[in-house]
Amino acid sequence: MASPNDRTSSVSTRNSSRALPIDGPKITNIVCGVNLNCRFELKTIALYGRNVTYYPKKFNAAIIRMREPKATALVFQTGKMQVLGAKSVDDAKLAARKFARMLQKMGFSPRMEGFNVQNIVAVVDTKMIIRLEKLHHDHYVYSRWEPELFPGLVYRFHESKVKALVFTTGKVVLLGSKQEEQLDECIKLLYPVLNECRVIEQNK
Amino acid sequence: MAQQNQMSYELYRSTSVGIALADTLDDLISSRRIEPQLAMKIMGTFDESIAKVLNDKVKARMSFKGHLDTYRFCDEVWTFVIKDIHFKMENSSTFDAEKIKIVACLAKEKAA
Repeated sequence: MASPNDRTSSVSTRNSSRALPIDGPKITNIVCGVNLNCRFELKTIALYGRNVTYYPKKFNAAIIRMREPKATALVFQTGKMQVLGAKSVDDAKLAARKFARMLQKMGFSPRMEGFNVQNIVAVVDTKMIIRLEKLHHDHYVYSRWEPELFPGLVYRFHESKVKALVFTTGKVVLLGSKQEEQLDECIKLLYPVLNECRVIEQNK
Repeated sequence: MAQQNQMSYELYRSTSVGIALADTLDDLISSRRIEPQLAMKIMGTFDESIAKVLNDKVKARMSFKGHLDTYRFCDEVWTFVIKDIHFKMENSSTFDAEKIKIVACLAKEKAA
Protein backbone atom coordinates (compact mmCIF):
# COMPACT_ATOMS: atom_id res chain seq x y z
CA MET A 1 0.00 0.00 0.00
CA ALA A 2 1.39 3.43 -0.87
CA SER A 3 2.09 5.77 2.04
CA PRO A 4 0.48 9.23 2.08
CA ASN A 5 3.89 10.77 1.38
CA ASP A 6 4.38 8.70 -1.72
CA ARG A 7 4.30 10.94 -4.78
CA THR A 8 4.48 8.06 -7.21
CA SER A 9 1.24 6.80 -8.66
CA SER A 10 -0.31 3.91 -6.84
CA VAL A 11 -2.03 0.90 -8.29
CA SER A 12 -5.06 0.35 -6.19
CA THR A 13 -5.71 -3.34 -5.68
CA ARG A 14 -7.68 -3.59 -2.51
CA ASN A 15 -6.92 -6.56 -0.34
CA SER A 16 -9.13 -5.87 2.63
CA SER A 17 -11.42 -8.64 1.45
CA ARG A 18 -8.71 -10.96 2.77
CA ALA A 19 -11.23 -13.43 4.06
CA LEU A 20 -12.72 -13.92 0.62
CA PRO A 21 -11.01 -16.10 -2.00
CA ILE A 22 -11.33 -13.44 -4.72
CA ASP A 23 -9.20 -11.17 -6.86
CA GLY A 24 -9.87 -7.53 -6.31
CA PRO A 25 -11.77 -5.23 -6.23
CA LYS A 26 -9.36 -3.62 -8.67
CA ILE A 27 -10.22 -0.07 -9.64
CA THR A 28 -10.13 0.49 -13.40
CA ASN A 29 -11.53 4.02 -13.69
CA ILE A 30 -12.39 7.00 -11.51
CA VAL A 31 -14.48 9.91 -12.74
CA CYS A 32 -14.28 13.12 -10.76
CA GLY A 33 -15.14 16.77 -11.14
CA VAL A 34 -13.58 19.95 -9.88
CA ASN A 35 -14.31 23.63 -10.25
CA LEU A 36 -11.27 25.69 -11.20
CA ASN A 37 -13.06 28.99 -10.68
CA CYS A 38 -11.84 30.76 -13.78
CA ARG A 39 -13.02 31.02 -17.37
CA PHE A 40 -10.89 29.34 -20.03
CA GLU A 41 -10.31 30.13 -23.66
CA LEU A 42 -10.22 26.63 -25.04
CA LYS A 43 -8.49 27.64 -28.25
CA THR A 44 -5.60 29.10 -26.25
CA ILE A 45 -5.31 25.85 -24.30
CA ALA A 46 -5.28 23.88 -27.55
CA LEU A 47 -2.59 26.07 -29.11
CA TYR A 48 -0.23 26.43 -26.15
CA GLY A 49 -0.76 23.14 -24.31
CA ARG A 50 0.77 19.80 -25.14
CA ASN A 51 -1.31 16.67 -25.78
CA VAL A 52 -4.52 18.63 -26.24
CA THR A 53 -7.36 18.09 -28.68
CA TYR A 54 -10.15 20.61 -29.25
CA TYR A 55 -12.88 20.05 -31.80
CA PRO A 56 -15.82 22.32 -30.86
CA LYS A 57 -17.98 20.89 -33.64
CA LYS A 58 -18.01 17.58 -31.84
CA PHE A 59 -17.61 18.48 -28.16
CA ASN A 60 -17.26 21.82 -26.42
CA ALA A 61 -14.28 21.03 -24.20
CA ALA A 62 -10.52 20.79 -24.52
CA ILE A 63 -9.31 17.24 -23.88
CA ILE A 64 -5.89 17.04 -22.25
CA ARG A 65 -4.10 13.75 -21.56
CA MET A 66 -1.34 13.10 -19.09
CA ARG A 67 1.07 10.17 -18.91
CA GLU A 68 2.04 10.22 -15.20
CA PRO A 69 -0.38 9.53 -13.56
CA LYS A 70 -2.32 8.27 -16.56
CA ALA A 71 -5.38 10.49 -16.73
CA THR A 72 -7.55 12.55 -19.09
CA ALA A 73 -9.03 15.95 -18.33
CA LEU A 74 -12.04 17.54 -19.96
CA VAL A 75 -11.69 21.28 -19.51
CA PHE A 76 -14.75 23.43 -20.12
CA GLN A 77 -15.02 27.14 -20.85
CA THR A 78 -16.87 27.73 -17.59
CA GLY A 79 -13.88 26.60 -15.55
CA LYS A 80 -15.23 23.18 -14.63
CA MET A 81 -12.94 20.24 -15.21
CA GLN A 82 -13.57 16.50 -15.23
CA VAL A 83 -10.67 14.14 -14.52
CA LEU A 84 -11.10 10.62 -15.89
CA GLY A 85 -9.11 7.43 -16.06
CA ALA A 86 -7.19 7.49 -12.79
CA LYS A 87 -6.79 4.20 -10.91
CA SER A 88 -7.01 5.60 -7.37
CA VAL A 89 -8.53 8.63 -5.69
CA ASP A 90 -5.05 9.88 -4.72
CA ASP A 91 -3.94 9.62 -8.35
CA ALA A 92 -7.06 11.47 -9.45
CA LYS A 93 -6.38 14.31 -7.01
CA LEU A 94 -2.73 14.45 -8.06
CA ALA A 95 -3.71 14.49 -11.72
CA ALA A 96 -6.23 17.28 -11.11
CA ARG A 97 -3.53 19.36 -9.41
CA LYS A 98 -1.10 18.69 -12.26
CA PHE A 99 -3.69 19.72 -14.85
CA ALA A 100 -4.41 22.89 -12.88
CA ARG A 101 -0.67 23.62 -12.80
CA MET A 102 -0.53 23.10 -16.58
CA LEU A 103 -3.36 25.58 -17.08
CA GLN A 104 -1.66 28.02 -14.74
CA LYS A 105 1.50 27.90 -16.86
CA MET A 106 -0.60 28.81 -19.89
CA GLY A 107 -1.56 32.07 -18.25
CA PHE A 108 -4.84 31.30 -16.54
CA SER A 109 -5.39 31.50 -12.78
CA PRO A 110 -7.18 28.34 -11.70
CA ARG A 111 -8.12 27.79 -8.06
CA MET A 112 -9.20 24.24 -7.17
CA GLU A 113 -12.53 24.08 -5.42
CA GLY A 114 -15.00 21.32 -4.75
CA PHE A 115 -13.05 18.27 -5.88
CA ASN A 116 -15.54 15.39 -5.78
CA VAL A 117 -15.47 11.80 -6.94
CA GLN A 118 -18.46 11.06 -9.13
CA ASN A 119 -17.96 7.43 -10.08
CA ILE A 120 -15.57 4.57 -9.37
CA VAL A 121 -15.48 1.54 -11.66
CA ALA A 122 -13.87 -1.65 -10.36
CA VAL A 123 -13.60 -5.28 -11.41
CA VAL A 124 -13.61 -8.34 -9.19
CA ASP A 125 -12.90 -11.96 -10.05
CA THR A 126 -14.93 -14.17 -7.74
CA LYS A 127 -13.29 -17.27 -9.20
CA MET A 128 -16.50 -19.20 -9.56
CA ILE A 129 -19.00 -20.06 -12.23
CA ILE A 130 -22.36 -18.50 -11.50
CA ARG A 131 -25.86 -19.58 -12.43
CA LEU A 132 -27.37 -16.24 -13.37
CA GLU A 133 -30.80 -17.75 -13.75
CA LYS A 134 -30.79 -18.88 -10.12
CA LEU A 135 -29.45 -15.52 -8.99
CA HIS A 136 -32.13 -13.72 -10.95
CA HIS A 137 -34.83 -16.01 -9.55
CA ASP A 138 -33.72 -15.84 -5.91
CA HIS A 139 -33.07 -12.11 -5.88
CA TYR A 140 -35.68 -10.91 -8.26
CA VAL A 141 -36.13 -7.63 -6.39
CA TYR A 142 -32.50 -6.64 -6.78
CA SER A 143 -31.58 -8.01 -10.18
CA ARG A 144 -32.29 -7.26 -13.81
CA TRP A 145 -31.27 -9.79 -16.41
CA GLU A 146 -32.10 -9.89 -20.08
CA PRO A 147 -29.71 -12.43 -21.65
CA GLU A 148 -30.91 -11.60 -25.16
CA LEU A 149 -29.83 -8.00 -24.69
CA PHE A 150 -26.75 -8.29 -22.52
CA PRO A 151 -25.16 -11.36 -20.94
CA GLY A 152 -24.53 -9.64 -17.59
CA LEU A 153 -26.99 -9.53 -14.74
CA VAL A 154 -27.42 -6.09 -13.17
CA TYR A 155 -27.58 -6.32 -9.38
CA ARG A 156 -28.53 -3.21 -7.43
CA PHE A 157 -27.53 -2.92 -3.79
CA HIS A 158 -30.55 -1.97 -1.63
CA GLU A 159 -31.01 1.80 -1.74
CA SER A 160 -27.42 2.40 -2.80
CA LYS A 161 -26.61 3.83 -6.19
CA VAL A 162 -24.05 1.10 -6.70
CA LYS A 163 -24.69 -1.54 -9.32
CA ALA A 164 -22.86 -4.78 -10.01
CA LEU A 165 -22.70 -6.42 -13.42
CA VAL A 166 -22.45 -10.13 -12.70
CA PHE A 167 -21.31 -12.52 -15.40
CA THR A 168 -21.43 -16.29 -15.64
CA THR A 169 -17.63 -16.42 -15.57
CA GLY A 170 -17.70 -15.03 -12.05
CA LYS A 171 -16.31 -11.67 -13.07
CA VAL A 172 -18.12 -8.74 -11.50
CA VAL A 173 -17.99 -5.08 -12.48
CA LEU A 174 -18.90 -2.58 -9.75
CA LEU A 175 -20.26 0.74 -10.97
CA GLY A 176 -21.45 3.90 -9.29
CA SER A 177 -19.61 3.95 -6.00
CA LYS A 178 -18.13 7.21 -4.81
CA GLN A 179 -15.70 5.93 -2.18
CA GLU A 180 -13.06 3.23 -2.38
CA GLU A 181 -14.39 1.69 0.87
CA GLN A 182 -17.84 1.25 -0.64
CA LEU A 183 -16.35 -1.29 -3.07
CA ASP A 184 -15.27 -3.59 -0.26
CA GLU A 185 -18.63 -3.35 1.43
CA CYS A 186 -20.44 -4.19 -1.78
CA ILE A 187 -18.34 -7.20 -2.59
CA LYS A 188 -18.69 -8.49 1.00
CA LEU A 189 -22.45 -8.26 0.62
CA LEU A 190 -22.44 -9.80 -2.82
CA TYR A 191 -20.11 -12.74 -2.29
CA PRO A 192 -22.44 -14.94 -0.19
CA VAL A 193 -25.28 -14.22 -2.60
CA LEU A 194 -23.15 -15.36 -5.53
CA ASN A 195 -21.80 -18.33 -3.60
CA GLU A 196 -25.33 -19.70 -3.27
CA CYS A 197 -25.69 -19.61 -7.02
CA ARG A 198 -22.35 -21.04 -7.97
CA VAL A 199 -21.86 -24.11 -10.12
CA ILE A 200 -19.90 -26.78 -8.23
CA GLU A 201 -18.20 -29.30 -10.47
CA GLN A 202 -18.64 -32.90 -9.46
CA ASN A 203 -15.44 -34.85 -10.15
CA LYS A 204 -16.03 -38.54 -10.53
CA MET B 1 -16.27 31.10 -67.68
CA ALA B 2 -16.59 28.93 -64.52
CA GLN B 3 -14.89 30.44 -61.49
CA GLN B 4 -12.66 28.22 -59.41
CA ASN B 5 -13.74 28.96 -55.89
CA GLN B 6 -11.51 26.49 -54.13
CA MET B 7 -9.91 27.29 -50.81
CA SER B 8 -6.65 25.39 -50.58
CA TYR B 9 -4.20 25.05 -47.72
CA GLU B 10 -1.11 27.29 -47.77
CA LEU B 11 0.57 24.41 -45.98
CA TYR B 12 3.01 23.63 -48.78
CA ARG B 13 4.44 27.14 -49.07
CA SER B 14 7.01 26.34 -46.39
CA THR B 15 8.40 23.37 -48.32
CA SER B 16 11.64 23.72 -50.32
CA VAL B 17 9.65 24.00 -53.56
CA GLY B 18 7.35 26.63 -52.10
CA ILE B 19 10.19 28.67 -50.65
CA ALA B 20 12.10 28.50 -53.95
CA LEU B 21 9.03 29.74 -55.81
CA ALA B 22 8.44 32.55 -53.32
CA ASP B 23 12.09 33.66 -53.58
CA THR B 24 11.92 33.66 -57.38
CA LEU B 25 8.74 35.69 -57.37
CA ASP B 26 10.27 38.18 -54.91
CA ASP B 27 13.22 38.60 -57.27
CA LEU B 28 10.88 39.22 -60.18
CA ILE B 29 8.88 41.75 -58.17
CA SER B 30 11.97 43.69 -57.08
CA SER B 31 13.25 43.81 -60.66
CA ARG B 32 9.82 45.20 -61.62
CA ARG B 33 9.14 42.36 -64.04
CA ILE B 34 5.79 41.37 -62.49
CA GLU B 35 3.14 42.89 -60.24
CA PRO B 36 2.79 41.71 -56.61
CA GLN B 37 -0.82 40.80 -57.37
CA LEU B 38 0.30 38.38 -60.02
CA ALA B 39 2.76 36.81 -57.56
CA MET B 40 -0.12 36.26 -55.10
CA LYS B 41 -2.16 34.60 -57.83
CA ILE B 42 0.79 32.37 -58.72
CA MET B 43 1.17 31.26 -55.11
CA GLY B 44 -2.54 30.45 -55.07
CA THR B 45 -2.18 28.32 -58.19
CA PHE B 46 0.87 26.66 -56.61
CA ASP B 47 -1.23 25.72 -53.56
CA GLU B 48 -3.87 24.08 -55.70
CA SER B 49 -1.52 22.27 -58.06
CA ILE B 50 0.85 20.87 -55.46
CA ALA B 51 -2.09 19.45 -53.50
CA LYS B 52 -3.48 17.94 -56.70
CA VAL B 53 -0.16 16.47 -57.83
CA LEU B 54 0.63 14.95 -54.42
CA ASN B 55 -2.82 13.46 -54.36
CA ASP B 56 -2.98 12.12 -57.93
CA LYS B 57 0.52 11.56 -59.21
CA VAL B 58 2.63 10.56 -56.22
CA LYS B 59 2.44 6.82 -55.60
CA ALA B 60 5.50 6.19 -53.44
CA ARG B 61 4.87 4.73 -49.99
CA MET B 62 6.76 4.92 -46.73
CA SER B 63 6.21 3.63 -43.24
CA PHE B 64 7.67 4.76 -39.95
CA LYS B 65 7.67 3.86 -36.29
CA GLY B 66 8.52 6.04 -33.36
CA HIS B 67 7.51 7.33 -29.97
CA LEU B 68 4.79 9.96 -29.92
CA ASP B 69 6.10 12.75 -27.74
CA THR B 70 3.27 15.29 -28.08
CA TYR B 71 0.14 15.78 -30.14
CA ARG B 72 -2.26 18.65 -30.76
CA PHE B 73 -5.55 19.01 -32.56
CA CYS B 74 -6.85 22.55 -33.00
CA ASP B 75 -8.69 24.20 -35.92
CA GLU B 76 -8.88 20.78 -37.58
CA VAL B 77 -5.09 20.62 -37.88
CA TRP B 78 -3.09 17.82 -36.28
CA THR B 79 0.46 18.50 -35.09
CA PHE B 80 2.62 15.57 -33.91
CA VAL B 81 6.13 15.55 -32.49
CA ILE B 82 7.64 12.09 -32.76
CA LYS B 83 10.98 10.98 -31.28
CA ASP B 84 13.42 8.23 -32.30
CA ILE B 85 11.82 7.42 -35.62
CA HIS B 86 12.81 4.68 -37.98
CA PHE B 87 11.71 5.20 -41.60
CA LYS B 88 11.25 2.42 -44.16
CA MET B 89 11.04 3.36 -47.83
CA GLU B 90 9.70 1.39 -50.79
CA ASN B 91 13.13 0.44 -52.11
CA SER B 92 13.86 -1.07 -48.69
CA SER B 93 16.17 1.76 -47.77
CA THR B 94 15.81 2.92 -44.21
CA PHE B 95 16.97 5.79 -42.10
CA ASP B 96 16.58 7.06 -38.58
CA ALA B 97 15.79 10.46 -37.16
CA GLU B 98 15.85 11.78 -33.61
CA LYS B 99 12.80 14.01 -33.87
CA ILE B 100 10.21 14.88 -36.50
CA LYS B 101 7.23 17.20 -36.54
CA ILE B 102 4.18 16.35 -38.62
CA VAL B 103 1.58 18.97 -39.51
CA ALA B 104 -1.52 17.43 -41.10
CA CYS B 105 -4.60 19.13 -42.51
CA LEU B 106 -7.91 17.56 -43.40
CA ALA B 107 -7.81 16.11 -46.92
CA LYS B 108 -10.26 17.44 -49.48
CA GLU B 109 -13.01 15.11 -50.57
CA LYS B 110 -12.63 13.90 -54.15
CA ALA B 111 -15.05 15.61 -56.52
CA ALA B 112 -17.72 13.27 -57.91
